[in-house]
Amino acid sequence: MRNPYEVLGIREGTDAEGIRKAYKELVKKYHPDQYQNNPLSDLAEEKLKEINEAYDYLMKKAEAQQGNRSYRQQEEPGYRNNQEEPGREYYDQVRMYINMGNVAAAEEILNRISFRGGEWYYLRGLIFMRRGWYNEAVTSLKTAVDMEPGNYEFRDALNRVAKTNRQYQSTVYDRRGYSTGPDLCSLCQCMICTDCCCECMGGDFINCC
Amino acid sequence: MFGYIMPDKPELKIKEYELFRGYYCGVCKSMGRSFGTLSRFALNYDSVFLGLLLSAVHNETPVLKKESCIANPVKKKWIVKESPHIDYAADINVLLTYYKLMDNIRDEGGALPRLAHIAFKRGYNNAASRNKHLDGIIAASIDSQVQLEEQACSSMDEAAEPFANMLSQLLAAGNSGGDRSVSRVLGWIGYNLGKWIYIIDAFDDIEKDIKSGSYNPLLKQYKYDNQNIEVFKAGIADEVRMNLMQALSQTTGSIELLKLTNKGIIDNILYEGLYGKTEKILSCITREKRSCEKDEKSVRSIGN
Repeated sequence: MRNPYEVLGIREGTDAEGIRKAYKELVKKYHPDQYQNNPLSDLAEEKLKEINEAYDYLMKKAEAQQGNRSYRQQEEPGYRNNQEEPGREYYDQVRMYINMGNVAAAEEILNRISFRGGEWYYLRGLIFMRRGWYNEAVTSLKTAVDMEPGNYEFRDALNRVAKTNRQYQSTVYDRRGYSTGPDLCSLCQCMICTDCCCECMGGDFINCC
Repeated sequence: MFGYIMPDKPELKIKEYELFRGYYCGVCKSMGRSFGTLSRFALNYDSVFLGLLLSAVHNETPVLKKESCIANPVKKKWIVKESPHIDYAADINVLLTYYKLMDNIRDEGGALPRLAHIAFKRGYNNAASRNKHLDGIIAASIDSQVQLEEQACSSMDEAAEPFANMLSQLLAAGNSGGDRSVSRVLGWIGYNLGKWIYIIDAFDDIEKDIKSGSYNPLLKQYKYDNQNIEVFKAGIADEVRMNLMQALSQTTGSIELLKLTNKGIIDNILYEGLYGKTEKILSCITREKRSCEKDEKSVRSIGN
């Protein structure tokens, strides 16, 4: 069999969409209808057969590759889960104890887990948070996020720390009634000062005083 | 304690200011009554807040009387009287002052702290015999603090633990026999305020501790290595701020769970007072400016 890419007239590595497009063009070109009254119809037929073979071959390959990739995508967490499987039930226990507020028990179980991945650091961060060890908590949560940047749960926990701080600060600002612009009093003061200066120089800014 | 927990006076209403001063004078007078006039020099804002908060949690209606004071014999002021919570705060103030003086003698030695220590001995004995449980809590906390300092503990969280735990227990004990969930909330408030006090004091003391070579958790946590003090302080300020603000937001979050009287004063202290203090001390990278002078009001002024 000739190089299927050559048959289809495309570069190697063209994606499935490109292959399909090239194939359609060629089929149109070599379609038996075009060769009805042509002595070369057998050649066209042969040509078409070759094109079909090449097309089938490449598509199967592309599908296999894609399938592999999607297979691998599903495989990855599965593989990791298998790795962590011995710790899985421990993690669930740790979460349960944290939710119950039994920090000491949660910590005790967590320390028994020898594999220390993102989830381990995440749970340690939660435990530190409950104990009020904010610096250690943030360090652990950051480690968890670094290890699994795509994990929303970890990132969310870290963001929550910053959020509570912002909430406190914005309450302070609201209570103080901070505003960016000058208030009416200082506006009046400015105008009166301007007026005094103008009058010193012989002019006037507010002519009624 | 250290005396960082103060209201932001200009933001208080006049009546709130008068009432706060009533509590302040109340704790002072209670100390004088129980432990002698000398003990009143050790009065400190943190214990005033303690008395105020416990009184507010118990929805106490303060009994106010106009009295004069040796500090100002002419002008009579409103003073909160006959409050068990004020007496409790006064006892704790005396106990903590005594241990603080012991700490000063251990750290720095010198004649003045020793003299003050002797003068306080009687007051301490009174307070300790009345509150054996509290005395035990404080003594245990000081013990673990000394141990951590000897090990040169390099985690600010771990180093703050004894003081934070102590304040947590002292606040919760102020509600002993009361609602257990209220005690839990008070405990968490105490823990976070204790943590805030400990860390802000550590930041405030950085220069002093570098000069004297004393232990400071922040110097260990961020591995101070003889670099420029200003650069060092500026470099850690953001992370220290994160910790301080977290402690404060946990405190205010917990306060909202309690039913309190005098909410206006307490909110003023926790929101304006402590936030302002945090920003002021964190922004004091150098001590050159006048406004950056020592911010705490404590027995150190007697001790040193």
